[in-house]
Amino acid sequence: MDAAFSQLCVLGSSLVLIFGLILLWRRGVTAYISAFMWQSIVLAAVTVVVAHFGKVPELYWVAVCLLLLKGIVIPRLLRRMERRFSPERELEPYVNTATSLVVSGLLVLFGYAVTRPLVALSRLPTRVGMPLAMGLVLVSLFVVISRKKALTQVVGFLMLENGLALLAVLGTYGIPLIVELGVFLDALMGFLVMQIFIYQIHETFESIDVEQLNRLRH
Amino acid sequence: MRTFALLLGPPLLAALLATMVRPYRRIVGGVNALLSLGSLGASLALWSELLAGRVVTSGPGEFLRADALSTLLAMCVSVVGALAAWLGLSRDDSYNGAQVRRFRIFVNLFTFTMLFAVTSNNVGFMWIAIEATTITSALLIPLQVTKASVEASWKYILIGSIGIALAFGGTVLGYFDFVNMAGRHETALNWTVLVASAAHLHPQVIQLAFVFILVGYGTKAGLAPMHTWLPDAHAEAPAPLSAMMSGVLLAVALYAVVRWQAVVNAAVGRGFTDGLYIALGVLSIVIASFSLVVQSNYKRMLAYSSIEHTGLICVGLALGPLGIFAAMLHMLNHTLAKSTMFFLAGRVLHRYGTAEIGHVSGLLKAMPWTGGLFATGLLAVIGLPPFGLFLSEFALIRAGFAAGRPWLMGLVLALMTVAFVSMIGHLNRMLYGAPAAGVSVGEGSHWPLVPLAACMVTLLVFGVTLPTPLETLLRQIVEIVGS
Repeated sequence: MDAAFSQLCVLGSSLVLIFGLILLWRRGVTAYISAFMWQSIVLAAVTVVVAHFGKVPELYWVAVCLLLLKGIVIPRLLRRMERRFSPERELEPYVNTATSLVVSGLLVLFGYAVTRPLVALSRLPTRVGMPLAMGLVLVSLFVVISRKKALTQVVGFLMLENGLALLAVLGTYGIPLIVELGVFLDALMGFLVMQIFIYQIHETFESIDVEQLNRLRH
Repeated sequence: MRTFALLLGPPLLAALLATMVRPYRRIVGGVNALLSLGSLGASLALWSELLAGRVVTSGPGEFLRADALSTLLAMCVSVVGALAAWLGLSRDDSYNGAQVRRFRIFVNLFTFTMLFAVTSNNVGFMWIAIEATTITSALLIPLQVTKASVEASWKYILIGSIGIALAFGGTVLGYFDFVNMAGRHETALNWTVLVASAAHLHPQVIQLAFVFILVGYGTKAGLAPMHTWLPDAHAEAPAPLSAMMSGVLLAVALYAVVRWQAVVNAAVGRGFTDGLYIALGVLSIVIASFSLVVQSNYKRMLAYSSIEHTGLICVGLALGPLGIFAAMLHMLNHTLAKSTMFFLAGRVLHRYGTAEIGHVSGLLKAMPWTGGLFATGLLAVIGLPPFGLFLSEFALIRAGFAAGRPWLMGLVLALMTVAFVSMIGHLNRMLYGAPAAGVSVGEGSHWPLVPLAACMVTLLVFGVTLPTPLETLLRQIVEIVGS
């Protein structure tokens, strides 16, 4: 029983991480949005698995919120933005694909190193997935820093949040539900404000390339 | 309960009022200003309760709790919130009705989220509130949409959100540590519970959590190297918002770090947090003081000075009980000084129409009172006697020597001198000479200067003597942080 639970968690976490890696080698924002959507769906599935095997009924609610918010609403809003800025592609990120992949590989390894005390300490069958969640956090951070399009940065940030959500589910079977709901509310609000700003950037600069955001120096 | 309702209610009410009532703008503004006094009164009431030896709590499982640390921050927030409500957006600036309304709604929500962050006993809710401060304040930076303000708001929301997300990671790790020790509890995220059980926490895990917390909340506090959003946001925001961000938002973010510091110190002793604080603090002071040298924009100059002071506070937090005492006093002084300065900078900006230091001359002739206060305030900010910041910086340096870190203190002093000299130079260029052609001479409306002058007088008092009630409060904070 525990073995199957553990296996499912590792499988799910790996998928979540792999969807995060798609940002490194694809160029089109459409692909990023799909990757984010599938990542969120898998994350919700992992949450359901933990809710079922770990016997934490609260987590079903979290899974439902995840699915609605990050699996449906946010991807839809992202698609709408993407259609508006259709010709915008991530053509020349600050770091090229090959280097990005190498860096990410190292970051995932670093994730393993950082989470070693966590895995050693935990007694939960889900603990083996925690390094992958930490890896996703670090890789998403790298994506936000190394990409130029505002929309890519937002997807990177959303994936960072997913990584943290995964960490919370695997490490602690989820934080208290009421706090979790506040976190979801913040995530939605934050996303909506980012959306407003992207439209503003597009209107004032006629592009969403953040390379142009270089007036303010020193 | 009643005190908390009086503390948190007014900003919410004011935001609601501004949302619902579109006409009668002046009346709404007046009510807003009066409401802000409610929060101020409540925070003072919390203080007097503490002096009587009572920690006010409320709600199930001590949901809200105001110990000395919370109370100091609540006072800072409500003072600057009241200043922002009374002075508001300059009336003769070209803001239209919709912009004024948007400003009132979000500035009040901003105040509410900060007050909630510092009184919530649950570190999860503290996190939620601090994340919400990013959202509410970011919306006000591009109140007037220009390329610069759009850029500043984007940097702010992106970097701020990422930082705060990392702080969430730290919170999760702290919770993880607790759950592994004691199992899942509804109250496990309560700060009081965490501190009480800190001795049993796993050292490596709580250390990792603190790294995330410090980098995360440190991003919002403007610590280098995560500070890059700060000068842009503070320079582009409307004056009252700059004052609130620089005066108290940074302090609120540091507050969150200090809360966790108390847990970590109780778990693994002081050495761990000290090293991290000193590394980030010194880096911030280095970057800020050398950026001050090349600065050509006075709002950005004030922003970099905030980074310098945040760095100083951080260094102070690493210097033992005396250092924590000095750091907290410095935080209070900085709040008063810097928010006043940003309001004054707003007046200067409005008159001259430029934030370039090179284009502002003859400030003393054009606006004698504003110019005089601006000069006084800047002298206070750079730490000259007889103002409060001199006393707190002096106490901080002394704590450093007492803690056996003379080299560190020498470095800090040298860097402070760099900042000092460059800011005096910038000030000289602004004050003297003849006002540029087209700049009208004369003060304009005088009354907004009254509360600002009152802040300066308070700073003067804090520079001469440390009132006993304040000293008691600070001593209680030192005990809370533990050492």
